[in-house]
Amino acid sequence: MENTSLSGSVLDLINSDHVTPATRNALQNRLNQPPITEPKFFDEKQFKRLQLTCNQLIIRLNKEPIDIAGPIDIRLANGITNGWRYDDLPNDGEAYRLFLTGINQTAEALFDHSFETITTEQRDAVLRAVQQGEATGPAWQNLPTDRFFEELLTEVTEVYYSHPLAQQQIGYTGMADQ
Amino acid sequence: MTENTIVDAVVIGTGAGGAPLLARLAMAGLKVVVLEAGKFWKATEDFATDERAQDFLFWNDERLSAGNDPIAFGRNNSGTGVGGSTLHYTAYTPRLQPDDLRLRTDFGVSEDWPLDYQRDIEPYYDELEQFLGVSGPAQYPWGPIRKTSYRYGPLPVNGAGRLMEKGCRELGIRTSPAANAALSAPQFQEGYGWRSACTNRGFCQAGCNNGAKASMDVTFIPLAIQHGAEVRAECFVTGFERDSQGRITAVVYEQDGQEQRQRCLNVFLCAGAIETPRLLLINNVANSSQQVGRNLMAHTALQIWGEFEQEMQPWRGIPGAVISEDTHRPAEADFVGGYLLQSIGVMPVTYASQLARGRGLWGQSLHEAMSRYNHVAGINIMGECLPYEHNFLELSDEKDSRGLPKPRVHFSMGENEERLTSHANQIMREVWAAAGARNLWAFPRNAHIIGTARMGTDRETAVVDPNGRSFDIPNLYISDSSTFPSALSVNPALTIMALSLRTADNFLKS
Repeated sequence: MENTSLSGSVLDLINSDHVTPATRNALQNRLNQPPITEPKFFDEKQFKRLQLTCNQLIIRLNKEPIDIAGPIDIRLANGITNGWRYDDLPNDGEAYRLFLTGINQTAEALFDHSFETITTEQRDAVLRAVQQGEATGPAWQNLPTDRFFEELLTEVTEVYYSHPLAQQQIGYTGMADQ
Repeated sequence: MTENTIVDAVVIGTGAGGAPLLARLAMAGLKVVVLEAGKFWKATEDFATDERAQDFLFWNDERLSAGNDPIAFGRNNSGTGVGGSTLHYTAYTPRLQPDDLRLRTDFGVSEDWPLDYQRDIEPYYDELEQFLGVSGPAQYPWGPIRKTSYRYGPLPVNGAGRLMEKGCRELGIRTSPAANAALSAPQFQEGYGWRSACTNRGFCQAGCNNGAKASMDVTFIPLAIQHGAEVRAECFVTGFERDSQGRITAVVYEQDGQEQRQRCLNVFLCAGAIETPRLLLINNVANSSQQVGRNLMAHTALQIWGEFEQEMQPWRGIPGAVISEDTHRPAEADFVGGYLLQSIGVMPVTYASQLARGRGLWGQSLHEAMSRYNHVAGINIMGECLPYEHNFLELSDEKDSRGLPKPRVHFSMGENEERLTSHANQIMREVWAAAGARNLWAFPRNAHIIGTARMGTDRETAVVDPNGRSFDIPNLYISDSSTFPSALSVNPALTIMALSLRTADNFLKS
């Protein structure tokens, strides 16, 4: 069955009889989910900043319309966790909000501008400082920055690579499960 | 069944510890009820070949991970639903070796098991491998000579497995197709019907969708139901009622937001090595030894990943296809115990997640590493871990959605785990280099929680006796990996099931 039905796109594959109904439903639900424009957990400014962060962390070569910040907002609004957290981090929602405040403080400290108005190279530098535990700003007093960055990056990566269009990019065809 | 019915036994948990004894008790004619926190899925209809959609298989109530090597839970070390963690285990079912039971005798550390391999464990392995339908090699190179053959021939060796065979051959390390509790031929299962042969879909860790994998929901649970056991899903146990002698008279649980109780003569607590001690600590019972939650161990489980010239399709096939136990007791080792080597396949989101967590890759570097996903194969170990004073589970002040304290798990590797891991790191890198790998990288991890309600012969230092019976509460039994006195250098599922059957048999004899 390998690849023979993947002459078109992953969308053709999902609609083919190589895919079980349970798998097709799961993937179509994800594909059909419209991007979140009105966040429930974050305020609009925080949400925009999270979207900018996701755009730094994930490269979309073909501009795939994959919403990453939206599923994170939904998870936090519904109080869902992945089953554990580092004991020295606050709860997930509080940690995300501290992070979003913190990266702006670091942007101001390093570049005299808000996170929204600096260049993408400068945003990379801010995030790199957070990842390396070297970010400056009062928000970081209550957040081990490198550890939260690991959590953030993991969630962003998992959301992105769960999307069939991202999976197609890496040559994955395992959704053909029958 | 009315609220006032007194059943012979309430079993708490439907995983590898609970399901086998549930079936055994039901087949002996006892009136038994099992309470399971998660749902009763119908895998053939409900399970998607998609990691994110299958998140419901994991125990996603938050646990707090502390120490120098905090343990990941969720998809790594937990399970929920009828079948427990067996819903997402890889079905890897090596037997322990007799010297795994004698670390104290052989090395002067950890604990000996108060059990005899030939008398107490081997007969159950023989029975389980037939019942579950374990697929394995005709000749297994390690351990005592087997009295029985594996029921079926080995599953096809996938890409990672072939590379491990190649790399090990060059280094003179013996390998074998691994024993896996997944069918290489269809099997009829009493109470369930025909289980299909494995289709090499490779999603064992996200739930098997055709019954090929011997999870409890397609094996012991249907057998138990056939013999009259009642399975109550979505019931979360919160406590016990006890009489003036301290015996448990009823199990208290939440169902649909309502508190319920089930009166009973006996209780079998099989909730896994986190929820079992958590429930005992919350209720402050069975802990006169002060050992509940202590002695927490987690296998050393370092993974080495590499990229290969050829396409691997790393999601294909039984993930742990090839094994070596040549490192069970390595010559001139500077550590106690040993480990097994295992080839590993990997699903895409799991691999991406580990690149993020383990290497901190993002942007262009993450994109490039993931663009080579289809060329990736892994090798890992399952190794000994010693019990330490500093590794334990406690109740935190933070409450979960039910108002119960979240568990906090302290874990730091000791010198023995560091040395063992360092030894394994070098060997695995050599094997992978010999197999042609480039861009090697290591993902450190610890898997399987063990030891938090240990078994022993002395009520001062152990929670349960060698039959799994509480020293403090004579009608309470514990059956899961929390009773293991030492960690073993093999995956625990088959041994958990063996002890479960043994506990049931000894209970029925008494």
